[in-house]
Amino acid sequence: MEDLTHAAIEAALKVGVSFVDIRIENTESTIIEISDGVTKQSIESRLKGAGIRAFVDGAWAFAQTTDLTIEGMRATGESVAKLAMATRKQVREKFDIDGPTFKDKVHFRVRKHLKDVPFDDKIAFAMMIDKQAREYDSRIVNTRTIYGDTWTELYIANSLGTSIYIENSLPRIISFTTAKDGTNRQRGYRSVGVRGGFEEMESEKPQHIGEESAKLVISLLDSIAVKGGTYDVIMDPVFNGVMVHEAFGHACEADNWPAHTTVLEDKIGEQVGPEEMNLSDDPTLKGERGSFEYDWEGTKTRKRILVKDGVLNELLHSLETSSRLGMEPNGAARCQSFKFPPIPRMSNTFMEPGDWDVDEMIQDMKNGILLCDFNYGYTEPSKGQFMFQANYGYLIENGEKTRMVRDVSLAGQILEVLPKIDAIGNDFQMDPGTCGKSGQGVPDMTGGPHARIRNVPVGGM
Amino acid sequence: MENHLLELANKALSTAEKLGAQQAEVYIALSRSFSIEVENSSIKSASEIRDGGCGIRSIIDKKIGFAFVTNLNEKDILEMAERSVSIAKSSVADPNFVTLPSASSRYPSVKGIFDPAIDNIESEAATNLIIRTVEATKNATKDLKTAVEASISTSTSTRAIVNSLGVEGIQKATSIVLFSYPTIKTDSDQNSSFEFQVSRQLKTIDPEWVGTNAGKNAVANLGGNTIEGGDLPIILTPLAVSVVLGSGFGGAINAEEVQQGRSYISDALGEEIASPALHIVDDGLREGGVGSRNFDAEGFPSRTTEVLEDGILKSLLHNSYTANKDKVENTGNASRPSYSGLPSISTTNMVIKPGKGSLEDLVSEIDKGVLVKNTWDRPNMTTGDLSALVAEGFYIENGSIAFPVKSTLIGINMRDVLKRVSIVGEDVRVTSSVVSPSIVLESARVTSG
Repeated sequence: MEDLTHAAIEAALKVGVSFVDIRIENTESTIIEISDGVTKQSIESRLKGAGIRAFVDGAWAFAQTTDLTIEGMRATGESVAKLAMATRKQVREKFDIDGPTFKDKVHFRVRKHLKDVPFDDKIAFAMMIDKQAREYDSRIVNTRTIYGDTWTELYIANSLGTSIYIENSLPRIISFTTAKDGTNRQRGYRSVGVRGGFEEMESEKPQHIGEESAKLVISLLDSIAVKGGTYDVIMDPVFNGVMVHEAFGHACEADNWPAHTTVLEDKIGEQVGPEEMNLSDDPTLKGERGSFEYDWEGTKTRKRILVKDGVLNELLHSLETSSRLGMEPNGAARCQSFKFPPIPRMSNTFMEPGDWDVDEMIQDMKNGILLCDFNYGYTEPSKGQFMFQANYGYLIENGEKTRMVRDVSLAGQILEVLPKIDAIGNDFQMDPGTCGKSGQGVPDMTGGPHARIRNVPVGGM
Repeated sequence: MENHLLELANKALSTAEKLGAQQAEVYIALSRSFSIEVENSSIKSASEIRDGGCGIRSIIDKKIGFAFVTNLNEKDILEMAERSVSIAKSSVADPNFVTLPSASSRYPSVKGIFDPAIDNIESEAATNLIIRTVEATKNATKDLKTAVEASISTSTSTRAIVNSLGVEGIQKATSIVLFSYPTIKTDSDQNSSFEFQVSRQLKTIDPEWVGTNAGKNAVANLGGNTIEGGDLPIILTPLAVSVVLGSGFGGAINAEEVQQGRSYISDALGEEIASPALHIVDDGLREGGVGSRNFDAEGFPSRTTEVLEDGILKSLLHNSYTANKDKVENTGNASRPSYSGLPSISTTNMVIKPGKGSLEDLVSEIDKGVLVKNTWDRPNMTTGDLSALVAEGFYIENGSIAFPVKSTLIGINMRDVLKRVSIVGEDVRVTSSVVSPSIVLESARVTSG
């Protein structure tokens, strides 16, 4: 593989660019979708190719190819370098790309390799989960189960001397359920996604995910829609994780700085939340879906403490942003596949636990809403605005959990919401997700403890 | 090139058939796209992407297998044809599967979906368009501190499809997207907005229009405030309509979702589900339409389907599977994410018939209300509950726009969205695959804080 990366880099440098990097990827994936006991999708696929970037004087060019021969590498390297040279004429802000170099080969060890597990076994697993959900209750009218896995082998090299090989193995199981009672229809879903081999799907939680999804949708039949208004809320660990990710994590991605598109631009070293609050992004956690040893530029990763004791502490960097901002690279550049250029992204993002007992937090709140799990969320860091939606929740009345509510949305301003957090729980949990930015989806985890926010707008019917 | 793609597709088809597929289908997509990106008002990067791949669907005794590969290497494609057959053997039979579509009469010829001017565009011409866009954006924000993000991307794509029942189609299409996203910073505030154009024809692209609107929109968003909530009338501009109705209703009339009981619309065919002011057509034949094509993702001919007429639900949107299951006509709405997936169902061009009144006229009718310029939120498709953040919008007072709103949410069920349409305006805009004027909803729950 070194001869291929070398050919591309040499060909590009010859054209006159100052920095080149390349990712050569081989990914094999499986998707199995079962609905009501019938196979809706059984897909196997192969993604194989190279993405090459060339840089000169502040101008980037990117191209990709599936021609993985020495000639293919040379041709693509040369053409992408020419594109960068042409783009250079239009660039106003000049800068250089620099950073530490790494050479390493990391093999990801699993017990049951995804490639060695027969397709029939994967179908049988998805069928079992689908059946489990369907048979839970007669009010379940539709089940949908999706098993997906990807095995990736990735080579990364650049003209500074970095040469990295990493592997990734990501199985995931998702159960969607629909229940009906008279005219009342509800949907539920539960998922487990990890970094590991197929053996991870054989543990307690994934083996019962259909039942969990069914249990949730049946209880949603008795839920009510919440009345829109301003409430005190407690976020469960999953919802809190999404809050941290959407309301804060994205605004910490350092490509927002040179672009002047984050409300946090002038806030490094400043108080952005309560003193007892710490927010982290950590790709080094073992077995988590958002973990990796080296990022997609070949930089060794480490834990990033985004907010330390309430103060904005660190950003998420690619080599470009660390070079331009004069900060230390921390291995946060990721891309969906070789078809995209790497950009600063989160990995496993969470709020560190505090010292509140969760029951006491609820009793102490008197009235409000407990928000649980999430449907989706998004943010616009340039406006400082975010929105995300809990899958369900519970009204808190006189310090007690009462009626179940559904689809509760929380909206607000990035700079206003963190200071409103006044209690952080001593528990912790994380949940799998996929984060989208600039048309690229990457696997991630979000989580934290329970936490309370005072006086926020909650959307309702 | 076209002959080569069909030849490759037919080879894969006969390989799958030889290995035991009773029916098979091969879909090949090939595209070349070029884009330039601007950061902080200056060009920063360019990229050229060539993508090609092939997806093969094999069916044996109602069992379906699918495999795809992300290149057009014959050896890899034939290997994937083999994989699709062996996956089909491992799958569980779907009793509702009847057949792939068979070859029908000739395909309609939709005008304006391939433009040689886009296919042959030089990077200098694209650079010129984006620079003009950035200039226009900055001119519109005057002396305010502005950082413009912008992009232009052009693409040419070819898709070819063949199946065991004689379907054989190939089509070339072009598209261009021009986008400007300015962020403005003042001492007391920071805000942003955007404007864009998506088209299949280069001559329709107007960089000054995109830039000027983006800049003006961002200026207008400064100084946002919260408002007193309650049940208030709402105006959805075409951008908001494209999300709320485009995805929120377009996804609900997907026949597969309805058949599975996952849509908030079920058993409602022929019933009055919407205000009589609302007429919606799915038009796969619209000249130059972003969602137009001669045939759908299964090679079935494109057509025009009446969805809502005088508020009555006339038809759902079908592909061959759902049409066969319901024993109704196929509406040609099969869609797929390029070669990498099986056909699902989606709208082509959702066209909402205009009524009367400019946006100004609609605003002037409202005493207190909210104008929603844009939202990113989609409803819960099963319950229909929609809780939408007003991503950009304004408070209306005494028939005119008072100020921009922030941290403001709209709550309403989609069934009520449909029923509470009181006025459909005449300010038609093409967003992407939705063509709509602004519409007024009598009332929705507004929360702000």
